[in-house]
Amino acid sequence: MQNKFFIFSFIFLLSFIQFSCAPKNNSKRIIVASSGKVESLDPARVTTLKSFQLLASLGDTLYELNSNGELVPKLASGMPIVSDDKLRITINLKQNIYFHDGTQFDADAMKFSIDRFRRIGINKYILGDKIDFIETPSKFKLVLNLNEPSSSINALLTSINLTPISPTFYKDYSDKFLNDNFIGTGKYFLSNFSNEKQLIEPNPRYWGVKPKNYGINFIGYENSSSLYGALKSKQIDVLLSNSIEDIQRNELNLSSKENKIKEGVAPETQITFISLRTNIYPFDSLNIRLALSKSINRKLISEKVSYNLRKPLRNIVPPIFKESNQNLWPEYNPKEARILLEKEGFCNGKKLNFPLTYRSNVPSDKLISLIIKEDIKNYLSDCISIDINGVESTTMYKNLSKGAYPAAIYDWTGLYSDPEAYLKPLLSCSEIVENTCKDGESVLSGSFWGSKQIENLFRESDSMLGNNRLNNLLKIEKIASESIPYIPIWISSQRAWSQKKISEPIFNGAGIISLSDLEFLNE
Amino acid sequence: MSRNLNKLLNYSLLKVSLIPLMLWIISSLVFILLRVAPGDPVDAILGSGANEVSREILRNKLGLNESLINQYFSYINDILHLNFGQSLSTEEPVLNIILKSLPASLELGFFSILSAMLIGFPLGFLGLVNRGKKTDYLVRIFGIATYAIPPFWGAMLAQLLLSVYLNIFPIGGRFPIFQQQPQITGFLVLDSILSNNIIYLKSCLYHLALPSIMLGLLLSGIFSRSLRVNLDKTLRSDYVNAAICRGISRKKIFLNHALPNALLPIFTISGLTIASLAGGALLFEVTFSWPGIALRLHEAISQRDYTLVQGIVIFTSMIVVSLNLFVDILVAFLDPRIEY
Repeated sequence: MQNKFFIFSFIFLLSFIQFSCAPKNNSKRIIVASSGKVESLDPARVTTLKSFQLLASLGDTLYELNSNGELVPKLASGMPIVSDDKLRITINLKQNIYFHDGTQFDADAMKFSIDRFRRIGINKYILGDKIDFIETPSKFKLVLNLNEPSSSINALLTSINLTPISPTFYKDYSDKFLNDNFIGTGKYFLSNFSNEKQLIEPNPRYWGVKPKNYGINFIGYENSSSLYGALKSKQIDVLLSNSIEDIQRNELNLSSKENKIKEGVAPETQITFISLRTNIYPFDSLNIRLALSKSINRKLISEKVSYNLRKPLRNIVPPIFKESNQNLWPEYNPKEARILLEKEGFCNGKKLNFPLTYRSNVPSDKLISLIIKEDIKNYLSDCISIDINGVESTTMYKNLSKGAYPAAIYDWTGLYSDPEAYLKPLLSCSEIVENTCKDGESVLSGSFWGSKQIENLFRESDSMLGNNRLNNLLKIEKIASESIPYIPIWISSQRAWSQKKISEPIFNGAGIISLSDLEFLNE
Repeated sequence: MSRNLNKLLNYSLLKVSLIPLMLWIISSLVFILLRVAPGDPVDAILGSGANEVSREILRNKLGLNESLINQYFSYINDILHLNFGQSLSTEEPVLNIILKSLPASLELGFFSILSAMLIGFPLGFLGLVNRGKKTDYLVRIFGIATYAIPPFWGAMLAQLLLSVYLNIFPIGGRFPIFQQQPQITGFLVLDSILSNNIIYLKSCLYHLALPSIMLGLLLSGIFSRSLRVNLDKTLRSDYVNAAICRGISRKKIFLNHALPNALLPIFTISGLTIASLAGGALLFEVTFSWPGIALRLHEAISQRDYTLVQGIVIFTSMIVVSLNLFVDILVAFLDPRIEY
């Protein structure tokens, strides 16, 4: 009797806490959660997905990629005009656009923002020395003078890092970062900022289509379980995270199929692959690289690790940038892998030692390694001995260029929406000696593989446009697929989930959600 | 009496004089361990895609290309001037970051210790009163079990059960997402009282409840066990028996003779427990997205933000060392058996 009383009292107390203490959210604002903190809202400093997402709502870029991946003018009034020598790009700007501080957006403001990014931007390497100088011949005309023809410059103009900011407001911050405030031209303005929580309100003077909601509250949770739990228990309206674990991603995907929540999927842009160090034994042998490529059962990995939510990949350029979806890397075929390994003197008593390093702080990487190991045990146990090893991602990135890992799993997402943003960081090389890269991006990516033919094709593509350029870039991918410095595993996309009462999250071509389109459906 | 006070003063001065040495050892260890640890702040900031030129520029800007010995001397010199430097990743002064995050941790720590005492002491007393009975065994098992549960596991379990499944408590954070928090001292409970806003007070207590009660619950085992053991020992001592023989009432014996003596070792344990909170709260803050100093440390480590890690560790060490010093002096002052 006494025990029952205690249990009853305990339940009563918990219910009391819930109903009396829980603050009621009566506002019509939408709560969006994602992982981690926002350290900065300075376009020159932002590097995280969450910050990009916020900036995309607070500011506008010159151009935007729509969901079909096409370039659409935003602050620009038309498409960029390229001179005959391809060294001058003229951009006409829209008029009557104002920053949140009331000052007018014009070519000088755009020049100020680009120059500032070139000076202090953390990611300024994406522009490199492509731009020589910028001119503003009239109030609403911007001219970019390039050092050499660059076909990727158009895609770079969609970069959120180049979001224009008010020169008046940022006068004292032209050479340093302003982390906790942002004055741009976007649909929303920032009303409250802390590293954990950001509040944005609709901009009443916005020049374009007004937001469909009354404002957004952003919150950051530190781990995947908290994010998942917050959506499940309806404490948040929208969950946007790339770092949510695969098992929870699958649960949410299933819930969306049962119509309990809504799911939005971004274009697939993140590739996961194995980088092989091609300048040392055993991966200096093409046959061995080919054999390993044929030993990777991508379908099994996708099924067991990602519950088929990440697609097996046999290319390094995401399919959204191509017209045909032809797979270039060899498909899974352990029999052929065995023949190739036998040719190199392995199998029948002699095993190839395959040391595979993964990022220990990325759960899916470890699972990929384990699946590869078990699958190889099943079919090629007498040919390959796989030794898996975890290191923290920061450590891996530092040591890749030092050649510390004969084979390493990691991922890459292009910093701008263009095939070049995948090919150059993985394949370009500034100093090549007999197919070995001594200096360049390929060293940083850990493959140390270089090809003079590829460098020539990169140079050619800089002075090409449209389909010619695309075909040229795809030739580069084809050459890489024949030499296999990397083994692609899968391609994944960002996902976002919303409660049933909220509209479905829609991504644009750059993987950014249009927050202004989120709305309560029962209004 | 004055001779005793002089002795105590000498004892305190001796203890205080050891603080700089301890802090120097700690700060040097932190410096060496961070440099020995693999990883580079430049990679953490730029990611894997940046080219070598950009890396080199940033490395120079952050002063990471200086020789280690130069870095060490400039680091020690800065600490001597109480300058913890700037965060490598945000360029914000480290002291600002610490002062912004500290109130959240202190608030959580205070309420956790309070919960631990409120849960632990009555249970310890209950066990003692029912010595050798079922209740005593249950309290002992509870004490050992709470002490043995890893804090991160307890936190995750509580979050899953009470926040996700039962939806009684919030998942994390210090304040409701849809309200603007008061900003006076950084201690939200205090700020809500100062701003005379009962809704704010209710909101922040509601967010504080789960992490602090859960952390308190996990720490309560130490308090219940130590009270049970020390009180038992004191109640069996000769001077308590003598007091009983003199006919002093049991209540007076308990309150005036037994309890003060039993509480002395608990002072020391409390000091150590508060010190252990600095480490134990880390995973709690991560699980509950509690924006305290431990969470900042966790992020700084993953970003290889050397200056921030060094700053937080030294600052926390200062607090722990000062607290232990205070407890040592207090116990020495209260307990005449201690010689110094």
